[in-house]
Amino acid sequence: MRKFVFFGGKGGVGKTTMSSAYAVKCARDGVRTLLVSTDPAHSTSDVFDQSFTDEPAAVADEPNLDAMEIDPETEVREHLMETKRAMGDQVSPAMVNEIDRQIEMAHQTPGAYESALFDRFIDVMRSADEYDRVVFDTSPTGGTLRLLSLPEYLDGWIQRLLHKRKESVKLFERAAIGNNEPRRMMDGDPIIARLEQRRDDFSFAKETLRDDAAFFLVVNPDELSLRETERAIDQLDDYGLDVRGLAVNRLTPEPDPEESGRGATFLRERVKTEREHLDGLRENFSPPLVAAVETRVAEVKGDFLGEVAAELDIDTAPDVQ
Amino acid sequence: MTLAARIESFRELVEEWLRGLYHGMISHPAYEKIEQQAEDDEDAFMLACFPDAFGIPSPISYYTAELLPYLEDEFEAWERRMWDRGSLLERKGHQYHF
Repeated sequence: MRKFVFFGGKGGVGKTTMSSAYAVKCARDGVRTLLVSTDPAHSTSDVFDQSFTDEPAAVADEPNLDAMEIDPETEVREHLMETKRAMGDQVSPAMVNEIDRQIEMAHQTPGAYESALFDRFIDVMRSADEYDRVVFDTSPTGGTLRLLSLPEYLDGWIQRLLHKRKESVKLFERAAIGNNEPRRMMDGDPIIARLEQRRDDFSFAKETLRDDAAFFLVVNPDELSLRETERAIDQLDDYGLDVRGLAVNRLTPEPDPEESGRGATFLRERVKTEREHLDGLRENFSPPLVAAVETRVAEVKGDFLGEVAAELDIDTAPDVQ
Repeated sequence: MTLAARIESFRELVEEWLRGLYHGMISHPAYEKIEQQAEDDEDAFMLACFPDAFGIPSPISYYTAELLPYLEDEFEAWERRMWDRGSLLERKGHQYHF
């Protein structure tokens, strides 16, 4: 298996359960594992009955497992503070208000949240040397897909900005007559330096996601979830990402044959429709089914996690490179 | 004053005039044009960075906001030019000194 493993899917299908179970499975097989939750609802804390922060922390009773939770809200706020601090150092008091307004505005745009999350993704992927496996529990499909399309998209933007900036600085250098100091200089231009830094980040993310990450989609055996999964697979394929398999969650357990009450009839009907969906899944979807997990009576926590993990047919050993 | 010295000083005068003439007619307007082109490019850059200053939402303003502290002079000049500029024609025509 590749180093970075993402679990995605529609809201409420059990991504947290699946990703936690897989992380536990990896850890128990002796793979140093980090579980990263990016869902603002943060259910990892509930699964392990332990609260996690922005920094990796050891999970109790699982020697090889660390977990962390990313809060984009905090990330945005920190980025804002950092930018303002830099402004305090650089900008004359007369201009502060003007620029301040602009910065505040930028941090309220809809993209800010995703960008902050994305920065953190890059951060985690960059600094994950001590782990053999990083499991991402992502937010529901739409958000995640947008997130994963970001490097491609932002890369283009940044390249354009960089080009424009270089062009104008070059002209300013040429326009400096005789011994006059040019208004802007290519060497040590902080803007070019920053843009280049960003460009490197984005291409790192692009390469890592394409070459070093595997994706699993969690599905429930119902129409809506199936449709959404189909779209998600198409989009991930479009981005050139590697969808390794589908994990089916919340299958209805079949009643014993001698039971005939109302409950049993309901269950039998339900199982029948689900079986049809499952067959459809096998026939029409190209990624293979890697797990079929039945609905649990209790919440999946503690001991249950091991049981679910045993049902996951996803290998844990790192790819040999 | 010897003849040689008078010729010498006359040549110096002519040279100075020629240099001034060349600078005023050829090189200065050229530099001015280049500088204006640079400003135009910079305007395009600023607009691509901060379209939300004009109410156009930008997908990357989160990233460009961190450039702002280093863009103080540019930002000010940009805003001034934006207010100043009647039309593109005016801006482009300006450089011909009619």
